[in-house]
Amino acid sequence: MTVQESAARTRPVPAVEAEGIAKNYGSVTALKPTSFAIPAGSYFVLLGPSGGGKTTTLRMIAGLIRPTGGRVRINGADVTDLPADRRDTSMVFQGAALFPHMTVEQNVAYGLTLRRLPRDRIRSEALEMLKLVGLAGFERRRPHELSGGQQQRVQLARALVLKTSVILLDEPLAALDAQLRRDMCFELKHIQESVGITFVHVTHNQEEAMTVADEIALIADGELVERGTPEHMYETPERRFTAGFIGENTLLDGIIHGHGQEARLVIAEGLEIPLPNAPVGEGRPASVSIKSEDFRLAPEAVDAVSAPVEVVDVFYLGFSTVMHVRLPDGRPATVRSTTGALPTRFRSGDRAVLSWRPEAVRLHLA
Amino acid sequence: MKASGPGGAGRGILWRRLVADDGPGRLLFYLPAVFMTVFFLVPLGLTLVWSVFERTMFWMKPGFTLAAYGDFFLSGRIDSFLNSVQSGLATVALAFALGFPIAVFVRRSLPPAAQHKAVLLFILPFMISEVIRLFALRPVLGRNGIINDALIGSGLIDAPLDWLIFTPTGVVIGEVLSFLPFMVFCGFLAMEGVPDYVFELCSDLGSGVVRTFVRVIVPLAAPGIFAATLFIFVNSLGLFLVPDLLGGPGAANAGTLVVNAISALDFPLAMAIAAVMVAMMIVLLLIGHRLFDITRILQPYR
Repeated sequence: MTVQESAARTRPVPAVEAEGIAKNYGSVTALKPTSFAIPAGSYFVLLGPSGGGKTTTLRMIAGLIRPTGGRVRINGADVTDLPADRRDTSMVFQGAALFPHMTVEQNVAYGLTLRRLPRDRIRSEALEMLKLVGLAGFERRRPHELSGGQQQRVQLARALVLKTSVILLDEPLAALDAQLRRDMCFELKHIQESVGITFVHVTHNQEEAMTVADEIALIADGELVERGTPEHMYETPERRFTAGFIGENTLLDGIIHGHGQEARLVIAEGLEIPLPNAPVGEGRPASVSIKSEDFRLAPEAVDAVSAPVEVVDVFYLGFSTVMHVRLPDGRPATVRSTTGALPTRFRSGDRAVLSWRPEAVRLHLA
Repeated sequence: MKASGPGGAGRGILWRRLVADDGPGRLLFYLPAVFMTVFFLVPLGLTLVWSVFERTMFWMKPGFTLAAYGDFFLSGRIDSFLNSVQSGLATVALAFALGFPIAVFVRRSLPPAAQHKAVLLFILPFMISEVIRLFALRPVLGRNGIINDALIGSGLIDAPLDWLIFTPTGVVIGEVLSFLPFMVFCGFLAMEGVPDYVFELCSDLGSGVVRTFVRVIVPLAAPGIFAATLFIFVNSLGLFLVPDLLGGPGAANAGTLVVNAISALDFPLAMAIAAVMVAMMIVLLLIGHRLFDITRILQPYR
């Protein structure tokens, strides 16, 4: 192992590094100054509601939009002032962004022909990539003869064939139906793992994000809300917004009362959630979230904490059943239970007791 | 017949019954077909039929002779015709070189709200009669015209350029100026059908300006460009006003030949020239259809 290699091993250079990048359109802020680093070889997802700034972020990494502030580094090199084609990235666009007048092979090869490589090499590399994305034998077709999923595979092949170290995917599966989107997610993940390069993927679909991501960055209202592994974002979100966006959580806002073992979040009169040893002082507004599957609905209390509720709606979904209930002060909560584990079939209008373990409560201070 | 039912509603029902799929009113929808037959197909057929009629002193009489075609192909007329084909091609090329970049510019560089307004500006010249527009070019292109004055005044040339007007060049200049809007319209409509991602894709892949233009923009806008090309070519062949006003003595295009034949009361000859033009048009359309599927002209690419 050379010295350089060992240095690289101790402090790996991130594939993409954003340092305070921001974008304003006149007085409208698309992205507030945002910093993050994407480790090389990882599958990184920018997740968030539409209009939140995630696509802007991706396009600034690609070089299709110029940031109004901050720097972008790719593999350690500052590329902020370089155009898109001079960056070590290639882009997969939303929808079927292929040249409609070229065949599949010509589409994949176009980027290589610009590099003036020998013709037979261009052809063999294009065919190899088409094989990798599962489209061997489709090279003579034209884009309109392909299905939506196949068109996205061609786009992926076109991006991969350039052998850039980062692939940027802008809502690549948005136009596909749910089943196809799921399959394509698995496939994207497989391809990313087999080629081992960095993927940065923008989506508003949390299932898609959870399926493919090594790490998720939640972007909303022009800022990076929170980032972490899918497990972190789902199980232990720090921000209230994360809990509201990812998963199926019941969010309750209130004021902290008491301290130490007596600390509790007072949501309304008669509705308090114990928060023993909450790390904040009395009088502070705070929120808690509880995952729908951490609630248990039964005729009487079955866990340490409970509240009487009225069942509003019951949705039987086969394996699981989702129930919307109303807390004593009228606030809604969502309960999901495996259908087999329900003590009785609840119906709308039933009175029941909602119970949960104290550990299931996540505190959000922002 | 009186409408049944109360008030206006009854009339609505009657009207709907009239135009229902099986009502007698459905025949209304054949009116355009009748119109096209009477005013388009029948004259076209008559052109062909009359072109082989025999010429008489003031009219023609039924018969079959190819004399008119001989008169056209075996005389100086064919030279005038070929010359006008040549200047038509030059006009098309220049209109493409000038007009299509304008279309691309309007589509790519103007804010969306301004694009259609900018294109509409190119309609303004059509508000002025073609005769006046062309005539107005005389004080611009003439020996003592604006252009020559400006060039001499700036010291670029010593003697006035005398080939700007009353020459074949003058005809081409006049035709380009007259027909440029067609290239801008068709080019713009074709460019509207080219999705934005195409341009982002090109910049992400590093396709240079020239290469993007040749390999991507022109192929994608080809149906629109072809439509404009056809329109301009046919007009430059057929509109006799331009050579009349700007071509100088002896200038003629296919339109002039037809007009002259009619003035000479040689109707079969006029019809024969028209028939040759129609045949040429059909051949061009067939070629265009083979190349870019004419049914898709002015329609977004998909």
